[in-house]
Order: sequence, then C-alpha cells, then structure tokens
Amino acid sequence: MLTAKEIIETLRTKFNNHIIKADEKVSNQVFVRVVPDTLVPLIRFLSKTLSPRFLINAGTDLVRQDGKYLVSYIFSFDSDKIFLCIEVAVDAAAPDIDSITPIIAGANWSERETRDLLGINLRNHPDPRRLVLADDWPQGLYPLRRDFPYDYKPPSEPQNKVHLKKPPEGTKVIPIGPFYPVLEEPAYFKLFVDGETVVDCDYRGFYNHRGIEKIGDTKLTYNQICFMAERICGICGFIHSTCYCEAVEQAAGIEVPLRAHYIRTIMLELERIHSHLLWLGIATHIIGFDTLLMQAWRIREPVMWLCEKISGNRKTYGMNLIGGVRRDIPHQMHDKIITVIEKIERETLEVIDAVMGDTSLHVRLKDVGILTEEVGRSICTVGPTARGSGIPIDSRVDHPYAAYDRINFEVAVESGCDIWARTLVRLKETMESIKIVKQCLLEMPDGPIMGEVMEEIPSGREAICCVEAPRGEAVHYVQTGQDNRPYRWRVRAPTYPNLQCIPNIIKGERIADVPIIIGSLDPCYSCTERMAVVDVKTGVEKLYTKEEIIKR
Amino acid sequence: MFISKLKQALICLKAGRVTLPYPYKPSPTPEGFRGKLKVDINKCIGCAGCANVCPPGAIEVIDFDKGWRRIQFHLTRCIYCGRCEEVCPEKAVKLTDEFELSTNTKEDLDLTIEIYMDTCQRCTRCFKPEHPLDKMMVTGFRE
Amino acid sequence: MFSILKKCFKKSIWVYHTNASACNGCDIEIINALTPFYDAERFGIKLVGSPRHADVLLVTGAVSRQVCPRLKRLYESVPDPKLVFAIGSCATGGGIWFDSYNVVGGVSKVIPVDFYIPGCPPRPEAILFGVAVALGLVDKKVAAEYLKEKSFSELIEVGK
Repeated sequence: MLTAKEIIETLRTKFNNHIIKADEKVSNQVFVRVVPDTLVPLIRFLSKTLSPRFLINAGTDLVRQDGKYLVSYIFSFDSDKIFLCIEVAVDAAAPDIDSITPIIAGANWSERETRDLLGINLRNHPDPRRLVLADDWPQGLYPLRRDFPYDYKPPSEPQNKVHLKKPPEGTKVIPIGPFYPVLEEPAYFKLFVDGETVVDCDYRGFYNHRGIEKIGDTKLTYNQICFMAERICGICGFIHSTCYCEAVEQAAGIEVPLRAHYIRTIMLELERIHSHLLWLGIATHIIGFDTLLMQAWRIREPVMWLCEKISGNRKTYGMNLIGGVRRDIPHQMHDKIITVIEKIERETLEVIDAVMGDTSLHVRLKDVGILTEEVGRSICTVGPTARGSGIPIDSRVDHPYAAYDRINFEVAVESGCDIWARTLVRLKETMESIKIVKQCLLEMPDGPIMGEVMEEIPSGREAICCVEAPRGEAVHYVQTGQDNRPYRWRVRAPTYPNLQCIPNIIKGERIADVPIIIGSLDPCYSCTERMAVVDVKTGVEKLYTKEEIIKR
Repeated sequence: MFISKLKQALICLKAGRVTLPYPYKPSPTPEGFRGKLKVDINKCIGCAGCANVCPPGAIEVIDFDKGWRRIQFHLTRCIYCGRCEEVCPEKAVKLTDEFELSTNTKEDLDLTIEIYMDTCQRCTRCFKPEHPLDKMMVTGFRE
Repeated sequence: MFSILKKCFKKSIWVYHTNASACNGCDIEIINALTPFYDAERFGIKLVGSPRHADVLLVTGAVSRQVCPRLKRLYESVPDPKLVFAIGSCATGGGIWFDSYNVVGGVSKVIPVDFYIPGCPPRPEAILFGVAVALGLVDKKVAAEYLKEKSFSELIEVGK
C-alpha cells in the first residue's frame, strides 16, 4: 500500500528541483505543483513506475491572481485510495503546454477540451482538431476564461467547421449521424467500411455542450449548482449532484450526518437499479428482442414510483444540498421500499434465469465488441465496460464516499471482454444494489439529515471526488471561490473515457454489430458533453439508420 | 434455447395486463410531489428570497412603481426543485400536485403577482407592513 | 388547418423524437410512455425511425448552438401537416441554462412550436395528457395568472 507521503517522497527524490510545492490538502488527495517543462518527464516516470490511472485534466484561469493558467492532471491510485493532482501553471502570455496524450491515450479528449475552452495550445498532440465547441464558434474565443461573459453569444463563423478524417483507400463511408434523416440524437459517427467489415471510424460529438461548467463558475451559488449538477444527466443525475456535494464538503471540511450519507447511498443504488434495467431493455431492443425491452421496463417502473414517493419527482430527486439531504426517508416508508425491492429482485432473477440459456442472445453478444484489458487500461475506461474486461475498479471500494465504507458488497468483475461479459456485470450489479439498499435500510441510524454548514465556504480550497455511476465513475473537481460559488468546477462523466475506446472496439467488426457495441458501453452523451451525448435512444435510432442504408 | 424461450414467455404471461387506466381515470400523485407552484398573495411579503435561490432564475422581481413590487414567475423554465417553497419565510409559495401543464401558448405558464410594499425611510428598500392598518399608519391616507 | 389535423391524427399519430441537447430525462420518459404501464400505442401513437414518416415532432432539450441548424433541417424534412411538441422545461423555456453561451434557449426560438409540455422531466402521464390536449380530447388546465393586492384606494372603497 502506498501512502500519500510516499508518493510525494518518490516524486521529490526524482524531480526535487522541479517541484514547486507538494502537499496533502485533503486527506488522501495529493496536490503537486511542478514546473511546466517537467510535466512530460514526470508523467512518463509516473506511468512507468507507479502506473496510476488518469482521470481527467482541468484548466483554470488564474490570470487575475498571478497572470497564469493552471492545468491540473488528476490521477487515481485505485488500490491505495489516493488521488494525485499534478498542477502546472502556464504563462498567460504564451499558453503552450506539451501534450501527454502520446504517453496516456486516454488524455486525448480532455486535453482537447482544455484547449477549446481555455485556449491552452497543445504541442505534439496527435489529433488537435476542435472537440467541444460548435462548428461555427469563432476562433480565439475561449468561454472558460474569466473575461468571457457566460451569456455572450458570439456571431457565427461557419468556416471553422471540423473536418472529419478522410476514409482510407478502398473503403466506403457510412455516416451514423445527428442530421441524418433517421437519427435524432446529437452524435455523429462516420464509419469506414470495407464490405461488411468496419475498418475505422471517426466521431464528432459534443452536440449537447450546454456550458454547465461556465454557468457554475459565474452565475449560480453553491446550493443552486446541486440542482444543475442533477440535470447534467437525466438517468444518473443524483450521482452527479452527490459527487459535486461530496467534493465541496471535502474541500470545505463540512461534516455530513451519517443518516444523510445512508440516504444518499440508498438513492444512488435505486438509481443504479433502474439504470441497469433500462440498459438491459435498450440493449435487447437494439438486437431486436423487444419482449425483454418491455418486460425490463415494466420491472423498472415501480422503482420510479418509489423514487417519486421518496423525493417528489421520478427522475430529478432534488435531494442533495451542501451538507446533507433535503428529505428524510421516514420509518413507515421502509416496508414500502423493501416490498418494491423484493418484487424487483424476484422478477430480475426470473429474467436472468431466462436470458442465461438463450443461445440466440449468445450468438449476438459473445465474442463481439472485444475490449482487451490492455486497451481498456490505456484508454482509462471505467465502470462495467472496464469490469467486463477484467479491470477491477469500482470507486465505491477504491474511493469510498457516502456510506459505502460501512457496507459489504461484491464488485462484479468478468474476464470475457465482450458484450456478454458487460451484460453479466450489469445484471450482477443490479442484484448487489438490491442487497445494498436492504442493508442500508437495516443499518440506517437516526439523527439529523442536514449538517452544520458554515456561513461562508472558505475560498482557495480544492478537492476531488469520484462517485460510481451505473455506467462508470463520475469525477468532480472543485476549487472553492468567493461570492458563494466555486472558482472552478470540473465534471467528468463516465462515458467520456468509455466513448474514446469505440474506434478500437469496432475495428474489424461487422456493421450489423456496431449499434449493440456502442450500446454495450451504455453511453450517455448528455453527461459526457455536460453541457453533454448517447443516450439510450441514440443507439436505437442509429440502428435503424444503418439498416436502412444497408437495404439500399 | 427452447426452455429459455418458454421461460421468457412465462415472464410475460405472469405479468399479465399492467397498463394503467390513466387518461380515463386520474392518476394520483404521491404526497410531497413537486408540481406547478402556487402563491398565496395574502401571505407573500415580497422578500424575494425565492428569487435568490431559484436555480434557473425563473423568479423575477421588479419594483415598477412607488411602493409596488411585481414578482414574475416564469414557469416555462421552472425545474420544480421546490427550493422556493423551502426558503419562503411565510409559506406563501407552495408546490401543488398539478402536473398536467401542457398548453399551446407559453403565456399560459406565466404567474405574476403585484404586492404593495412600503419604502423604508432609511435605506429606501421596499418592505411589507404586517397589516393593512399598519400600511395606513405608515403612509397615511396618501391616495 | 387544425381541424384537418385533428381528423387525420386522431387514430394514428406517428411521432419522431428529437433530442436537441437534452439531459435524457425527458427522452426516457417519452419511451416510458410507450412501455406497458402507460402504453401510448393503444392510442395509435407510434415512435418512428425517420422524420419523413412522422406527423409529430417531439423535441426535448434547450437546443445548443451546434444542434440548432440541424434541428431546422430536421423540421423541414417532416412532411406537412405537422405538429411540434416541446417536451420538458428546457424545450419550453430553456430550463436552467436558458442564457448560457452555447444554448439558444428553448425550441420556439428555432422552429415554431404548437404545444408545450413543461415538467422536469414531465411524468409519462403528463406527456399523454399533452397529446390528448393537442388532439382536442380534453381542455388545457393551465392559464396565465395575474394576482394583485388591493391598493389603498381600493381598500377604502371596500370599507365604504
């Protein structure tokens, strides 16, 4: 087991002259500030020796304080329960930085995002095209800079359109895209095919960029952001708001009552149950097995009613505030929850039993969409996508939040690397979630649900929080600021790294399998683009598109 | 293969007919449901606390005339979070269980209240006298 | 125009669902309205895979800058007569990000909208109700409210 001190020590012995400061601001979260030139050697050294998992990078505009842009690279030591944040301050006059994508493939998108939104130029980046901003967004305007007003809508400059890759020689192009007549959701894939086989693909997403981070930094207050965080995603909204709240609470050192932690855990697990059942329905719909779509959604519906009873709304629970939760789960509700949960447990078991032996499903799902452990690790995939490839990461265990350090549960890991393995992981997790809810209800202590929150949250603090969403882990990084709002709030949704592995896993597959492969990642575009793309529906519509094209 | 198909058929049969009779019979909302908001004008003191906490900024406060304050609730972008209800000191804002809000014009979703406020002699900000009689005590029979 | 629509649409509305940078909440409630518990198909409502087959466009989301031109083209490709439904608070009025730099702020700023179904997200029942209102089966239940406290002179009038 590594400790925070050992990590600092290791870095100090190797790069002592280049480290400006290194400290443990929040317990188990190490923040190291280094000289810009050392960044690439340091990260190469890190990935060779300690091999932490890259989470995200975040750019912050500190021009008013010291004339610099701060770029933070956040890593996770999973088995040691430690976050490492490497910070580099770049001069605002010449904001250039060396890209780390050649070392860590998973940093591709997040570096491009920093470039798009904050204007930090990347040296040696393999694919420096525009990622986040709209096609007609003017050059040289960077929304996350402090002097950019959050509600300024610049005039259109259509010449900045992003050009997708040219197809390799001898291949045909199949667009699966937002403006194709059949497609509705904003994600655009361009497949290059040779006969039936997919040779390569290119992606243009971020149709859902809504500028959430900017609004959070400039317009809303700490408590209002909880509600906006919840609307990052309509399926795993509560996860985002919990993640945000926990990050602020850790940064400010706010004690949250235990009962509130338990209530958060229950709501998180209820959300996981309905999300996994939803995914099961959509995935089977993609391969044309509509019976299971209808039945899975029928099983899922009582959870929605239950959530409506507990929180007052079916999807956006609005339960979280900084310091605790807004609504209690009274004792008389426990029986009701148990009854619903047990019914779902029974019915899900029946479904699992029926699905396991279905050879027609095996034919479609086994040995399709192979994501090897090696590729999975290099792209930093998370959640069931990673666990289906034998990468045992689960932030409920690795970085415990809410009440998970008091709860016993198993992490479902499968080594099949194919879609079937991912399906099994999700089914197992559903059963585990049911157990967790039951255990929480049994152990939930009495007490207040809202903690003491100081009048003003001190500025200049930083914290990172990971929360395991149904599709992977969500990462929120918060820097507290003045005027009752964070100075910087960075969100990474689980689909963000997962979506980046699509070119790898659809290479060599047949066209007919592409929709279910994309669907098997349980992609959620709205999170990813936060401001955010695939929802469930997209996958579905994509399928139609392709089929229709093939027919012609 | 055959057995699992049978099992799947059995799941469907067991479930039977589950469709709710909604459009023909009302669908009750559970207690604590967050629907369209309602304001009790007699209780509102015009403190604008709700406008301060509203995440989408759907509540707008305008002091348009001497002593008069208009509070506009733009329910088109209301996200039904219920923070206004939570912070209202007089419990004047309530979220009802009304969820059937579809309409053909956006104007149907506007809610405007105008309340009479006094102007503080010191800070010139509006405040609400407790009772109509107090109003007269402060301003006299001005009109 | 509406009377023709009502006649044609009454028994078979084919809807096409568009996500114009929504959070998925409303989208899932739309699919939910088609699943066993709400079963919108018993009213002839069918989700189709192409806007060219659709009578009704269901739009969710606050419409981001990138989606905006595509939404216009999508609207043009739906054959006349057509109806547009804006579903959810974002589609109706822009929601929590109505004035963000990358958001247009509501569907009605891009294409003409015939019916609004607010809610965050609206219950599946509310979506069914919205369709019923559009078909003229029921009357809408909301109306603009304007409340004014009595002024002095009015109070005195009452006193007399």
